[in-house]
Amino acid sequence: MSEPAVAVHSLTKVFPIPFRRTKLVAVRGLNLEVAPGQVYGLLGPNGSGKSTTLKIILGLVTATTGTAKIFGRDSREVRSREAVGFLPENPYFYKYLTGEETLRFFGKLCGLHGRRLQARCDELLALVSLEEARDRRLGGYSKGMLQRIGLAQALIQEPRLVVLDEPTAGVDPAGSREIRDLILDLKRRGITVLLSSHLLAQVQEICDRVGILAHGVLVREGQVEELLAIENQTELILENATPEILVQITDLLAKSNTRLVEQRQPQTTLEGLFLEATKPGRAE
Amino acid sequence: MIRWFIILTLLLVFGALRLPIEGALTEQHHGAYLQQARLGLDLREQIGQLGFLAALSGFRSLVADVIFIQAHVAWERTEWGRLLLLCREATTLQPRSILFWDMAAWHMAWNASVAALHDPALPNDAMRRKAQREYLILGKDFLERGIKNNPDRPQLYESLARLYKDKLNDHAAAANYYARAAALAGAPEYDKRFAAYELSFAPGHEEEAYEALHHLYLQGARERLPTLLKRLKTLEEKLDIPLNRRIPEPVR
Amino acid sequence: MPETRHRPFSPARIAAITSNTFTELVRLKVFYFLLIFALLLIANSVFMARLSFQQEFQVLKDVSLGAMSIFTSLLAIVATAQLLPRDLEDRTIYTILAKPVPRYEYLIGKLAGVLLLLGLSILAMSAVFLAVLFVREEMLVKETLRQSAGLRPEQVQEALRGLKGSAFNANLFPGIVIIYLKASLLAALTLFISTFATSNIFTIVVMVFIYFIGHLQATAREYWLQEHGAGWLAKTFLAVVALAFPDLQLFNLVDDIVAGTAIPTGLFLQTVVLGCVYTSIYLFFAWVAFHGREL
Repeated sequence: MSEPAVAVHSLTKVFPIPFRRTKLVAVRGLNLEVAPGQVYGLLGPNGSGKSTTLKIILGLVTATTGTAKIFGRDSREVRSREAVGFLPENPYFYKYLTGEETLRFFGKLCGLHGRRLQARCDELLALVSLEEARDRRLGGYSKGMLQRIGLAQALIQEPRLVVLDEPTAGVDPAGSREIRDLILDLKRRGITVLLSSHLLAQVQEICDRVGILAHGVLVREGQVEELLAIENQTELILENATPEILVQITDLLAKSNTRLVEQRQPQTTLEGLFLEATKPGRAE
Repeated sequence: MIRWFIILTLLLVFGALRLPIEGALTEQHHGAYLQQARLGLDLREQIGQLGFLAALSGFRSLVADVIFIQAHVAWERTEWGRLLLLCREATTLQPRSILFWDMAAWHMAWNASVAALHDPALPNDAMRRKAQREYLILGKDFLERGIKNNPDRPQLYESLARLYKDKLNDHAAAANYYARAAALAGAPEYDKRFAAYELSFAPGHEEEAYEALHHLYLQGARERLPTLLKRLKTLEEKLDIPLNRRIPEPVR
Repeated sequence: MPETRHRPFSPARIAAITSNTFTELVRLKVFYFLLIFALLLIANSVFMARLSFQQEFQVLKDVSLGAMSIFTSLLAIVATAQLLPRDLEDRTIYTILAKPVPRYEYLIGKLAGVLLLLGLSILAMSAVFLAVLFVREEMLVKETLRQSAGLRPEQVQEALRGLKGSAFNANLFPGIVIIYLKASLLAALTLFISTFATSNIFTIVVMVFIYFIGHLQATAREYWLQEHGAGWLAKTFLAVVALAFPDLQLFNLVDDIVAGTAIPTGLFLQTVVLGCVYTSIYLFFAWVAFHGREL
């Protein structure tokens, strides 16, 4: 079994508050592992320590005690970031640079240059569907476009791990869906994704494993299906069920220990309805 | 916290290490006549807070320029007292400016002194001459201090020589200063000639003057200017030089 | 992922940050305002004193070199003060440092961007200054030749020599270099202060304060080392000033250059080395302060 993509062990981070005796414990004794190729969701309310944990993993903040490693390399080493791409929350980038210039800048920071850099820029602009906007300044980009260019720069050096902090916060449903599709695409290619979010419904769809943080402590962790499955319940979705069949099923159930909890018409989600209604090309 | 302590220590250590180096450089500055202006508290009173602050931040020269322009205005208004004060301030701020010393001396010895001589405010001739004399001394003083601050440059020596020559009628002193100017780098050729001329006018120095003039004469056609030849002839007569050693008569 | 060996020191990475910083600074409105003001001042100073040609050239040189000095010092402080706070506020710093970029390269790149800006500004101002000086000198030479039509050749030569002597002076070039060194020292020091400052304004105010005290450091140093009568409190205070503050008087040779004093080559080279040392040490301090900083 290869190295875990991310390995966090007994991580604690204490922030001293200036001029006060008390300290802020942002993260407490955290143990976390992300296997390669997984999509891991770090969930929790604001102030639960999600961002701090991500920053420690990326070497932007140093842990008080404990370790964090990326593919076996300690996060405090600059080397460990060779294989990582990061999209921070609400990124701004440099407004006066065009989309392409931004990618080139970050590419150079990763050691890319010349034709290879140009090729990567073209590839990624196509991947995030920003080719038409490549020569437009970032100051004129919408929020969704900024997120996409942010994702592109995170991928510029073909990283093995991508860390996303609130990737869909503030993005409209269409943009949000695109980002989620991109994440799934990354997963298909074997790239590990670690993301943090508090938009739970969206996370539910894409993550393999989740960890829930509250007050700096990991309170729940595991595979999504396992965590969410309500243990003793089964869901059956029937198509073209006649009323007679339904009566037969209810009778069958009444004779056993199984209790019919609920019978209703399944709904599509509001999101699905929205996307369907606002699809481009639909005459209205 | 420890980080701050480290930084502070490093800062002080760096300070201690560069102390001798900076001291040595400042010494070199003094040696090369740089940074000679001493900005004392009396200057602060004279040029005011803003001027002092500007002088302190490295705009000394600019402040001096402004003051000098004010001096020029004072001259046009014949405010001799104020003119003297402003000249003093400008030269204190910028002691390496030949222009300031020269102009200050000129204002005193040539302008103010003449104005004093014709000053209707003074009751009698004796007082007027006294005032004139005082201004001449002030002019001389400016040039002497200028020379002290700029011993390496010929211009002020020349100006002082001219002052002795034209205003104080002291040809020996004039000769001395022309000679000192001639010894410096960048001095114009005529300085040594003028030194010899002045010497020839100074009573009691005829022999010396003759030697000097003759020496110049021997250097060739370039030095054999009409004035030199005339002075040489005059001295030959005075000293009764034997005919076989005299220079030929100038061709008319 | 293709294996690129991580190089602990990469000029290419630094160059990317440098050019980025430069592009960012060139957009600062403050930069244009100051530059145009300085250029106007230099061009206009020709009309300031028409009393005598010596005075005219003296004022031209004073104003131009003074403008260059204050402009570069001010720009160094103001431009550098907002570099780190802006990146921190916009969070662009996270994306940069999440790449394999060591923090010291980030700081070097930022400082290099400022130094590039300052260098180009000085070149522009020097060009305007020297052009004005040259044109004015030529005009006066023509006029002098016209006026001295009847004089002997050596008298004409004297007059011209006097004129040229007060105009162009080879010392102007080392003087300009020293102005640049002072600005680069101030930029590095500002970067250091900005690593722990709480705001832009704080950094600028502190730097202005340091600028003034730096000009008094030499006096404080002399008093501290030589005054024997002063009490221990005064001595401690003077010692702190002497040790903690840079001696900016060593870079203040403009006044003397304008007056025509020559700067000995040895002294000039030593001053250049000192300026570079100051800049490097303050950059190092900035790294010490920044490398452990929580982002």
